[in-house]
Amino acid sequence: MTPAPLVEMRSVTKRYAGVAAVEDVDFSVRAGEVHALLGENGAGKSTLTKVLAGVTAPTSGEVLVDGTAVSFATPADALARGINMVFQENSLVPSMTVAQNLFLGDEKFFNRLRNLYIAAQQFLQSLNFNVDPWATVASLGVAKKQMVEIARAVRHNARLIVFDEPTASLTPEEKRHFFALVRRLTAKGVAIVFISHALEEALEISERITVLRDGRLIATGPTREFDRNRIVSAMVGRSLVNEGLDPRTRRSARAPGRKLLSVQNLSMGDAVRNTSFSVYAGQITGLFGLIGSGRTETAKIVAGIAKRNIFYGGEIRLEDRAVRYRIPRQAVRDGIVYVTEDRKVEGFFETMSIAENIAIGVLSARKRPPLIVSMADMAALAQEWTAKLSIKAISAEARVIELSGGNQQKVVIAKSLAQTPAVVIFDEPTRGVDVGAIAEIHQMINGLADQGLGVVVISSYLPEILSLSDRILVSQKGRIVEEFTPGNVTEEEIMFAAVH
Amino acid sequence: MSLFAASGKPAWRYVQQENIVIAITAIVFLGFSVTLNNFLTTSNVLSLIQNVAILGILGLAMAQAIIGRGIDLSIVANMAVSVAATLQLANGGMPIALAIALGLALALVIGLINGMLIAYVEIPAIFATLAMGTAAYGFVRAALLNDNLIYLKAGGDGWFKWIGSGQIVGIPSSVVLFGIVAALMHVFLHHSLPGRFIYAMGDNPLAARTTGVPVRPTIVLQYVLSAGVAFLAGIVMATSVDSMETRIARSNLVYDVILVVVIGGIGLSGGKGKIRSVLVGTLLIGTLLNGMTIMDVQYTLQSIIKSLILLVAIIVDSLVNPRDEQTSQQGDI
Repeated sequence: MTPAPLVEMRSVTKRYAGVAAVEDVDFSVRAGEVHALLGENGAGKSTLTKVLAGVTAPTSGEVLVDGTAVSFATPADALARGINMVFQENSLVPSMTVAQNLFLGDEKFFNRLRNLYIAAQQFLQSLNFNVDPWATVASLGVAKKQMVEIARAVRHNARLIVFDEPTASLTPEEKRHFFALVRRLTAKGVAIVFISHALEEALEISERITVLRDGRLIATGPTREFDRNRIVSAMVGRSLVNEGLDPRTRRSARAPGRKLLSVQNLSMGDAVRNTSFSVYAGQITGLFGLIGSGRTETAKIVAGIAKRNIFYGGEIRLEDRAVRYRIPRQAVRDGIVYVTEDRKVEGFFETMSIAENIAIGVLSARKRPPLIVSMADMAALAQEWTAKLSIKAISAEARVIELSGGNQQKVVIAKSLAQTPAVVIFDEPTRGVDVGAIAEIHQMINGLADQGLGVVVISSYLPEILSLSDRILVSQKGRIVEEFTPGNVTEEEIMFAAVH
Repeated sequence: MSLFAASGKPAWRYVQQENIVIAITAIVFLGFSVTLNNFLTTSNVLSLIQNVAILGILGLAMAQAIIGRGIDLSIVANMAVSVAATLQLANGGMPIALAIALGLALALVIGLINGMLIAYVEIPAIFATLAMGTAAYGFVRAALLNDNLIYLKAGGDGWFKWIGSGQIVGIPSSVVLFGIVAALMHVFLHHSLPGRFIYAMGDNPLAARTTGVPVRPTIVLQYVLSAGVAFLAGIVMATSVDSMETRIARSNLVYDVILVVVIGGIGLSGGKGKIRSVLVGTLLIGTLLNGMTIMDVQYTLQSIIKSLILLVAIIVDSLVNPRDEQTSQQGDI
């Protein structure tokens, strides 16, 4: 007889602004087991666990803990029932010390720091974590931050811990420590939900596997019934070839055109260290790297958003001209545009319509912009680009915040492409975008390279890199460490270069 | 799949704060018309608008600063000292046109320093303009002006005097000027290049920068423009009461200006609201003040009522347009 599940979710549905992120999903976790939750980016894994951890309320369906229905109003309610989530995004307070973070939220009224640190020290030792309780969290590396988060979860007597991409930025050595810890936790009866893109890890450590796709439950069962192929086919549902995501072969790779951009010995603090690469016209340069590899920072320096070191900062040449941009406006007017990975924070203007968003892009890039802006021109522009990128909206007047993620992304792309660039840098162009729009965006990116533009695609999603790139660069710890030709490289080889 | 976030939300939920304020204004106006004998007369309605025209013009200057995610707290001090300087120069025998030009230049320089401090030194607008307002008042009062209260003596019966107390076909010239400035400001914000950039910066400064909007020059322009419009408001004020009291810089007029702007639905977080919002806010405050003056309500009570109206407008707005999970992540004020 199988033990009763610790937590059970019955036909849970969660809609964001009418779009289902999770639809009719049953999910359960038993005490002492590792349940791997797998799926592509945007499959609904994070949403499902957010419902579980009380971060958001489900639109319909119920959550049962120990067999009784509960409705969590806040994460604190979930915490009180022993459900804890270690977020993909760090939820520690960076300016506080490790000990303060550990005890955050339940300090005594008179909080003697000495006792606090002694308690933290003892607690960390009991978990075998080598972290200094006096260190501020901001000074820690990713792995140690994660240890602090895990320690905090354990300290709260968590009975269920949700790990959202815990190993994404760990070194192999750190990963071994992490898995040992997971085993120790399960031996104590703690249930673990393990979300990861690393399928081998999931197969190795989990007892059960559930695969989501487009917010729906596709496959679930004991891990022994799964292998890599079954998971992958459940995740993508169709073969990659039908999706248009066939890996580029050596033959189908585009030949490099003239050299548009050359970057030499670029350095910026600790984030970018002495990195060099070139971008050629008529070609897609794929840039793969994990979080913290300096790929976004490198792109932002090139696009004038961040500034490289003043001394020994390296050199950037556009065509044959050395450039050093103080502000993005200069880069934009020179034909270098950057499409951000975080469209909400630095991509679109949410209160503005599609037309107004695109118009801001055009007006910023024009050498001699008109002082009075013609509404008719703006509307015509919007119409042209909504057709070109098949942006779907009630009307061109609809505010961008009301669009789906995929359409928002297309607006951000349209805003940049309307600036008639020569070099386009896409940072995670399909993050948080639905499957249909992904195919359209990929097609559009390919079209740009065919037109002779220099295209850079930054992605941490290997299939995307493999299917789009004519050249693959791998960045790691602020440096481009490896260049691959598509067709004779495997995902494992790229990942290997990225982690070591 | 649904492409639109708007699904499932009935249309009445989309009532804007602006419309709520229009409704409140209409109710207050009707209430006064029925209960007060002298309220609904042409002359009273004209004087009602005349009384708030200066507040309205200042509101227009403030609105474009706030829409760009800034604020100009030096607006009243700037207006007071630059117009007082103009009057004193004119009284000293300088031709009135030259005195105006020099006063305007003083106002624009103060605005320019504001803009530079905010755009290039990157001091938050609220601190930069607070400090500049105090500094400008203290400096000009000590170095240039003879007295706190400067009377309009020279040019007091020519075209200059007309600015604040003349009439065009029976309409007070201050009201006409308010209308003209409002129309120009509307064209500026909605149809001009810098206006579009101001909305973009107010909506999302990071995105504006990345897109290539000339953020810093646009910020400087905002505060110079704010100073220029404030100077005009000051001229209207001085020529309608024949003097400029510089101690107005120490009054809470600037909060009334912010009240007029915010009550109409121009969010302090930037990017939201239109010139219409300022007109609506001005009208509501004007109606209230006028009605309460006819009823002979005490000044302190008037303050309480004004603040209550603001609170009600904001509360009703937050009830009718509740923040959902997604908008609450925007970090708006």
